[in-house]
Amino acid sequence: MSAANRQILAMVLCGMILEVLLIQVNHSAAPTYVSLWMGGLAVTFASLRLGYREGLISVLLLGGLQDALAPVFFGLHVLLFATAHAIIFYIRNRFPREETVIGVLVALLANLGLFLVFSFTQIGASPAPGIVWGRLLVDLGFSQVALAAITPWFLALQERAVEIMGAGLRTEQRGVM
Amino acid sequence: MVVIAWLLVPTAVKRFSRLTFFEVQAPLELAPSYVRDLQDYWSLRTRSQNDLIEAGRDLARLTASYELRVQENGELRAEVARLESLLSLPTFNSYRPEPARVVRRDFNGWWQRLVIRKGRNYNLTVGAPVIFSGGVVGRIAEVGAYTAVVEMITSPGMRLAASVEGDQRPISYQGGLNAAFAAPRGVVEFVPLDLFAAPNSPQKLVTSGLGGVFPPGLIIGQMVRLEPSTDGLFKSGEVQLDPRLSELAEVTVLVPLAPEIPPVGTPRP
Repeated sequence: MSAANRQILAMVLCGMILEVLLIQVNHSAAPTYVSLWMGGLAVTFASLRLGYREGLISVLLLGGLQDALAPVFFGLHVLLFATAHAIIFYIRNRFPREETVIGVLVALLANLGLFLVFSFTQIGASPAPGIVWGRLLVDLGFSQVALAAITPWFLALQERAVEIMGAGLRTEQRGVM
Repeated sequence: MVVIAWLLVPTAVKRFSRLTFFEVQAPLELAPSYVRDLQDYWSLRTRSQNDLIEAGRDLARLTASYELRVQENGELRAEVARLESLLSLPTFNSYRPEPARVVRRDFNGWWQRLVIRKGRNYNLTVGAPVIFSGGVVGRIAEVGAYTAVVEMITSPGMRLAASVEGDQRPISYQGGLNAAFAAPRGVVEFVPLDLFAAPNSPQKLVTSGLGGVFPPGLIIGQMVRLEPSTDGLFKSGEVQLDPRLSELAEVTVLVPLAPEIPPVGTPRP
């Protein structure tokens, strides 16, 4: 298996770990009617640290996994994640993208953008959008706090997973020819 | 370019991809559910024998009362069948109750769904009603090999024909008022003008049986507010749903049974 494929596999496995954890948290938090959503975290590492092609395939697969569990047309998460990946990839050279703080900021902004766009695509089905927006803002607030808390761990997990798979990120580091 | 490429992909490929991704993730949802069951088992093992004896005694009492109800139920069914036969009425759909454990509760602002631990392996079908002791839970939206997804009555995509208990006129119910830290609510439309409801005098909302999905008489919730709609022809309002919907650990799927069609030429009893 090539290094690029190993990177993609590492991203998908880490994404599935995140998905399992989120499912359990949301399952336990269901009686409070608060839910966490971390789509932004699924694209952060792939967009900041991997090559364009490897990152794109990773986020397409992760988007497909999300789509399979959601009552939306198959491809919505795929398109949103791919768009977020393209945007982050083309601006990533303007800041020190290996820094954890930058990773956290990018994850927060990506999550905010994806959450709002996704909400606009779904809000039409609700009989009372005003009430639903209130709920969505509460969900978004809790999601952002949780995201800020776990992003350093998750980025480290993804970096370590890529190393374990023997597919280092040296060629994608800034300043390396 | 990705958007254009995706639009050109045939629907069959998308459907196959979706099913593949769904089944790949099913074990990830099932495994924690089995771990939770194991945790419950070991926590119950720590209970004393006196607790078990008390629980057994309570269970025996419940069983005795249910046996009585089963006998009454059998007599009532026979009576219904006799009256249907006398009056040549169409028979109601028959259902097979299939209890299932809840694997996952997915209650976000966009939709509310449950994943249960039974699927095609128990012949569950899309559209089958799902109930619990408090009334309607929802209906089966997707069926996988070993899991099924239930769209709940709290979800905005859920619409069904309802009626006020004791009143035959149909009302339209839709879920979707789910504020954070509050019990779920739904909305009703096309309520006749002579019906009234307020928080201190709520009206029980039940399924009407129209549409053929849900049997009639299942509890949906309590209508707590009714106001004239903008056209003045009907009323619309809010329904308070059962707060236990968010804590469900086990539900019952009513699997529709194929109607028994008598052979051609057989006289009706």
